[in-house]
Amino acid sequence: MNNTMVAARPVDVAKADPVHVDMRGVTQRYRTGRRGDLLALDRVDLQARRGEFVSIVGPSGCGKSTLLYIVAGLLEASDGEVLVDGKKINGPDPQRGLVLQNSSIFPWRTVEENVAFGPLMAGVAASKRRTLTKHYLEMVGLKKFAAFYPRELSGGMKQRIAIAQMLACGPSLFLMDEPFGALDSLSREVLQDQLLQLWERDRKTVLFVTHSIDEAVLLSDRVVVMSPLPGRVKEIVPIDLPRPREEARASQAFGQLRNHIWESIRQETMEAIG
Amino acid sequence: MTMLTASRRTDVAETDGRPSAGGPRPARTISDRIGWSRFAAVTRYYPVLLIFVLWEILSQLHLLDPMFMPPLEDVARTFYKEVFVTHELLEHLRMSMMRAGAGLGLAAVVGIGIGILMGRVRAIEGFLDPLISALFPTPKLALFPLIMIFLGIDDASKIALIFLGCFFPITINTYAGVKNVDKFFIWNARTKGANSRQLVRYVIIPASLPFVFAGLRVATSTAFLLIVASELIAANDGLGYLIMFAERSFDPALMWCGILMIAGMGFTVDRLLLALGARLFAWQDS
Repeated sequence: MNNTMVAARPVDVAKADPVHVDMRGVTQRYRTGRRGDLLALDRVDLQARRGEFVSIVGPSGCGKSTLLYIVAGLLEASDGEVLVDGKKINGPDPQRGLVLQNSSIFPWRTVEENVAFGPLMAGVAASKRRTLTKHYLEMVGLKKFAAFYPRELSGGMKQRIAIAQMLACGPSLFLMDEPFGALDSLSREVLQDQLLQLWERDRKTVLFVTHSIDEAVLLSDRVVVMSPLPGRVKEIVPIDLPRPREEARASQAFGQLRNHIWESIRQETMEAIG
Repeated sequence: MTMLTASRRTDVAETDGRPSAGGPRPARTISDRIGWSRFAAVTRYYPVLLIFVLWEILSQLHLLDPMFMPPLEDVARTFYKEVFVTHELLEHLRMSMMRAGAGLGLAAVVGIGIGILMGRVRAIEGFLDPLISALFPTPKLALFPLIMIFLGIDDASKIALIFLGCFFPITINTYAGVKNVDKFFIWNARTKGANSRQLVRYVIIPASLPFVFAGLRVATSTAFLLIVASELIAANDGLGYLIMFAERSFDPALMWCGILMIAGMGFTVDRLLLALGARLFAWQDS
């Protein structure tokens, strides 16, 4: 076990739940030819406890999405390992659900066919699939749009379908890669609230990659700040705001946490942009 | 229709007292609109009709040499006789379509299969890509004499020629389509538990189908080109043969029947493919 990370956490979070996801020395190297290798991730140690909401923020190029894809089993780390429930992962698994930023739902399948995709892959019978689909479409409030194609829907609706598609696989871990990144700010706030309600009800473990500090503070138990080139964990900030959080946006503590994280990544962000 | 409407009205009246919004009336306006759009789609081709009229007028004024351009009237009369009396034109059409269909069908099955394999399996891609790139630009008609040495002058050599001509555009388009499938669609499917066979069936094929379809359209026009060319060279039937036979027997009206028939078939098949595509790809952003 990695002791430094556990020590950095506040006592109330660390005490109860078992470790769900355990990243140990995860390193990702890309060959860039003559100029030598690019170190996208450098010995990242990170843990998430069962039922914990962990956000990962950092300037572009810090490897936060890469880290998420490695946990999803879509990329293979050059070094290090990821354990889920104590077992080393090997490839993707519907237990580790993924939601991507750009609507990765299938445009050639209707809304209900998209939601039913995971159960169809698992060989679930048609009648059971219909029940599941109806349930999850109701949950994200899109029952009326079951027969629509994704192109007929707004960006916010598409992301809700992507979430329903993931939920229909019954995952115990949600991996979300800037799921609301492409949305307008109104849809974004609505979806943030809906995700919070969902999470507070089911308490699944969430790894949430975002470039919005506000979003990270609003949603998370802990915010992991990463720095680029090479991608490293710079700081882990516990968010001890009371839940439910829907009203927390305006509080003073929220602003302080936000400023603290911003100070932490400001310099790297300036360099990344400049 | 009216009786049905009336009885439905009373049913509605019994249940909630007024006709529902989803009654038969909106359906009628929609069908009217479809009828109008069909009419508009046909009238769009008035320039074609205009050329036919011009042809007839110029013939009547003796401005066209009847050895090349007989009056349209004669062509129409010959056409009527060949289609409705002797059925000979239909027989030639049947032969040509059979050969073109067999060659195109075979090319579609083999080409789509190989295109998918090339897009998915590195080793097959590495082996076939240079071969196909090298052979694609060769005009397949140049191989026809060689094919005839192996397969004779009957149907087999013509089908083989059409197969060769259609195979390349279908394979190359399918291959490009498979290669173009968005990485995130594949990732999404894999995290939802799709194995590699399910990935091909539920993601790779539907996602690359618009490319495959574009390839099929190109291949169809190639098939029409090659069927006429090969029948001009060596055949005892088919539209190409008919055109050549009419030219040699100084029967320009019959020749024009053959030409107009093949042009009409090419146009019709292409429109049918387009209509099928529009139906299949309703999900696409326009």
